[in-house]
Amino acid sequence: MEVMQKRTVFPVVFLRNAFLQPETSGLIMFGILFGITAFLQKNFFETKSIVRTINSCAPLVLLAMGQAVVVISGGIDLSSGAALSLFTCILTTVMKQNDPITGVYALLVTFLVALGTGMINGLGIGYLRIPPVIVTFATSYAWLGIALFLRPTPGGESVPWFRVFYNMRVVEGIPETLRVFGTYIPPALLLIIGACLLWYLVSKTRVGRYIYAVGSNIESAYVSGINTGKTQMFACLINAICIFLAALFFVGQNQTGDARMGGPLTLRSIAAVVVGGIALAGGRGSVYMAIVGALILNFVGRIIFFANIPNAYQTLVSGIIVIAAIAGPAYATLKRELH
Amino acid sequence: METLLKRAIFWRKWVVPTKYRQILTILVLIVLLYIGGGTVVPGFLSLEQVLLTLKLAAFIALFGLCQMIVIVAGGSGLDLSVGYMATLTAVLTASVMDGRNEYLWLALLIAFALGALVGLANGVLTSYLRLPPLVVTLAMADILQGIVNAYVAGKAITGRPSPILVILSARLTGVFPNILYVLIPVAFVATLVFQKTKWGQILFGVGANERTAYLCGINVRKVRCLTFVASSILASLIGLLLLGNMGIAFKDMGSNYVMPSIAAVVVGGVPLSGGGGNYLGVILGSVFLQALTNLLTALGLGDAGKWLGFGIILFAMLSIYASNRQRR
Amino acid sequence: MLGAIPSTLFEKGRKTLVVLEAKGVRKYFGGVVALSDGNLRCCQGRITGLLGANGSGKSTMSKIIAGVYRPDGGEIWYKGRQVHYRNPKEARKDGIALVFQNLSLVPDLTVWQNVVLGMEKSRGIFLDDREAKEISRRILKRLLPGLDVSRKVYELSPGEKQIVEIAKAIAENPKLLILDEPTAALEQAQVRNLFAYMRELAQSGVAIVFTSHRLWEVMEICDDVTIFRNGATVAYIDFAREAKDPEKIVNYITGEAKENLPREKERLRERLSSETLLRVRIQSRTKSLQDGLSFELGRGEILGIGGLAGQGQSELLYALAGSHPKIRCEVEMSGRKILVRCPQDAIQNGILLVPGDRQQEGLFLEHSVYSNMIFPKLGLPRHPTLIPERKYREECMDVVQLLSIKLPGLDAPVNTLSGGNQQKVVVGKWLSFNVQVFLLADPAKGVDIGAKRDLYEYIKRLAREQGIGVLLYASDHEELAHYADRVIIMYEGRIVATLLGEDITEEAITAASVRVR
Repeated sequence: MEVMQKRTVFPVVFLRNAFLQPETSGLIMFGILFGITAFLQKNFFETKSIVRTINSCAPLVLLAMGQAVVVISGGIDLSSGAALSLFTCILTTVMKQNDPITGVYALLVTFLVALGTGMINGLGIGYLRIPPVIVTFATSYAWLGIALFLRPTPGGESVPWFRVFYNMRVVEGIPETLRVFGTYIPPALLLIIGACLLWYLVSKTRVGRYIYAVGSNIESAYVSGINTGKTQMFACLINAICIFLAALFFVGQNQTGDARMGGPLTLRSIAAVVVGGIALAGGRGSVYMAIVGALILNFVGRIIFFANIPNAYQTLVSGIIVIAAIAGPAYATLKRELH
Repeated sequence: METLLKRAIFWRKWVVPTKYRQILTILVLIVLLYIGGGTVVPGFLSLEQVLLTLKLAAFIALFGLCQMIVIVAGGSGLDLSVGYMATLTAVLTASVMDGRNEYLWLALLIAFALGALVGLANGVLTSYLRLPPLVVTLAMADILQGIVNAYVAGKAITGRPSPILVILSARLTGVFPNILYVLIPVAFVATLVFQKTKWGQILFGVGANERTAYLCGINVRKVRCLTFVASSILASLIGLLLLGNMGIAFKDMGSNYVMPSIAAVVVGGVPLSGGGGNYLGVILGSVFLQALTNLLTALGLGDAGKWLGFGIILFAMLSIYASNRQRR
Repeated sequence: MLGAIPSTLFEKGRKTLVVLEAKGVRKYFGGVVALSDGNLRCCQGRITGLLGANGSGKSTMSKIIAGVYRPDGGEIWYKGRQVHYRNPKEARKDGIALVFQNLSLVPDLTVWQNVVLGMEKSRGIFLDDREAKEISRRILKRLLPGLDVSRKVYELSPGEKQIVEIAKAIAENPKLLILDEPTAALEQAQVRNLFAYMRELAQSGVAIVFTSHRLWEVMEICDDVTIFRNGATVAYIDFAREAKDPEKIVNYITGEAKENLPREKERLRERLSSETLLRVRIQSRTKSLQDGLSFELGRGEILGIGGLAGQGQSELLYALAGSHPKIRCEVEMSGRKILVRCPQDAIQNGILLVPGDRQQEGLFLEHSVYSNMIFPKLGLPRHPTLIPERKYREECMDVVQLLSIKLPGLDAPVNTLSGGNQQKVVVGKWLSFNVQVFLLADPAKGVDIGAKRDLYEYIKRLAREQGIGVLLYASDHEELAHYADRVIIMYEGRIVATLLGEDITEEAITAASVRVR
């Protein structure tokens, strides 16, 4: 009898289930917003405009991807914005404008620092088992402190070739083919593809599988013989690498470091993760959907801009979107439980 | 019976101090900090300096109370919206009062209503829809900030606090900051409520073991929801005091207190998992953090040192608590 | 008795290899003996059944073999050498697999990902998913035909999860497979498939240990059974040599031959004439409780609930206490219908629950005895805001004296007390209420004998003198036999037997629990 009933209303059930799937609703939302933005912005599909779009959301996309990995592993990172600021400050402190080789040193030093920040977060979350919220809340202020130490006010120097991370055309002395290539494929996109590739490779290994397992049910994962501390540590390291890539882009774009620029990006990265349908409880969702989430937030910002709503409303709207995005599914499950 | 009673009294003498061991530890830390600071920075131990520290610490301690109410009730509760809650109230009420005492009641009413509204939103979302408090209150902070920005956009914030508020929070009586006359009764009442009334005990119970509390007939969700309401109302009222202290309202006046308020709660020995703690500890934690900030500022380390110091202390304290928990 | 295990086993003239042999294994849990003389022998290609009542030590035995617990004495020989496993991982490495009861599955991974979780094979650094899918498909095709291995585990029913759990253990290619009550959540057809596959595994040379509370299942699938009673092995029956005689097995389980003096029992004989206090009827169908279950409780009566562990007994008590949101029940107290929708409703009607797990559900471990004792009063609607501390302290001291709770002081944290005294605190916190019905969920679990007697004697006196009703669920049937006036036996959410008066003996309760089909 039950089976019969299910069959008769199959299309309805299918559609409703599709909508309840957080990923589908995220994609639909993205499609709608994409359409509206393309309609409002006349030159939306011109190369220049596409490049500008990509550049404007690149840091958020990278941060959201890193955040997604940590969230899936059962944690959360409140320090990602602060870490981004810190990395930009370190890059611009190590680099000297007239000495191209310092750029390489800066890359190396910052990469090591990035791994260090990831390890400290991972230590607190994975091994000491302090609530992730609190660990990263504490470290976020530590990163902010160090960043302010290095660069109390925005500034610093950068080697000219660092612009390859932003715009290849304005850099002297690189091969012409690469320059042409860079015109069509902006470096920001390459960084994002790099991060995707990193996660793709990781997701094909044990670590990738275990990140989902630990986030879904840490006790079961432990009983199955998985080293949960190590797994969460790895998630934090992947996150740190994503933030590092975002820092490269930022310094390439602005040639400066800023200890306070990253702060607001933390909540936006969490928002992107939530909008992308990744469960904050961990274990559920796709890292790539974080990109969609970030794009949705970006498009909302643009629409607000085009609709002549003052910029001041930006934070208000993003706050409301976050709450709406997490409250919707929660309300649905609550209703289902009550019946 | 009698021997049992005697034994009970005998043991009480020994058991009670352990409850205050944490507070003694912070006191020792503060004394050490002052001794160290006094030798390195001349004038650090002067009475004015100490009283100034107390005045600034009072605001942290007041925000710490908001935080403590939510944290004690457990469920990984945390209220990150207190800073902008205070800001919003200050910004909105400044023009209402506009330097007059007649409209103070209206300002209080607005503060109360705003706090209740925001707190109810936080509470319903976290305890009834079971959303993570961190994300909800962080997003709420964004929404409140957005409202402030929108309200402020394109015009100057007008209005001044009523003189009563200024006297209460900014002025000194002799060398003694008046804000302490606010903090001391608040501390007294808070301690009384936490230790001697059913509300406090219910909060501790819900935080310590949600299941036991539920089976004892407590509506756990309602209690947790109400903690958020209380926290927001308090934060909103603190907004009035902040306005009194600053003299004018501005966009970010409250946001710098959120981090210290949580740090003060942690340093004050309130377990972040809920179910325990003492407001006296939170006050001492605030004093410690403010003294540390002042010392670092005096040493020329400024903001950088302050945040780095806060971060490191918080991380260290949490690691110590975590290892304590694992040993058990 | 142990001479019953022959030193060499022959099966159709072929010598079978002993895979595991446990001799005289002992295990204590904080002074309580769980296993005093555990003996077990598992042979290659044979399915060994473990039988015994609740707390007879059969579960402890299987957990010791799988390395979950470390034995306090005795020897375990595995494949010809003595082993001392420190954790389940070491045992697994040696080819001993224990099937957990829904403990090791990760809900957000797919079935096949779960089956190979923790022992994924890789090609280079990347996972070999094709082989993993192949393995899980091969195993699950037999156990649960038609299950799509790429479904997420959280979508599965409890029975399907249990089967995936079994598949996970089988995927390790164990030499010794331990299945601890695997059939509890399964349907008839699923049990058939499992048995067929177990038989096949045994034929391929795996030794299998199987425990179940359904006697007929054990009789059907096992080649031999080892029977436990009171922590010791009491019998070994090889079905190749002896007939499958259920009566004989039940006798071994209950220990019919036990020589103990007939106890002098004082029961409430006039139960039927005594006034009915509570009338209960369950009105919603759930997995754990059947719709329509109903019973009555008399004034001053202690009604025991018996049966094997996990047959819906605790769910019944929690439902009555208003703390099982999914189960609705109709309650009539002294002829008046009452609504029990939440714990507060139950409390105000004087229906008070002493939960089974005192650490998780009964106490605030780090808070003082005093705080724990006064807590339930604070939730009452008309409680004054300021706590009348002096009055409450006196009341608490009275309770402490009444139950003879041993404690350093009212302000001592409750976790510094012994288990028995902790349990007394849980009971004591309700004593200042107007008790009508006491619901006791296994109150004597992990409690020492002295405290256990104190507690039960007190409750008995309370029932007799104040005419309250007591609903007592105890996994230890001896406690029921001692203290209950009437015993109902539950099985799979139903009441299947009622024992009265002189019929209430430990043996009769166990027999009624086991013999159910």
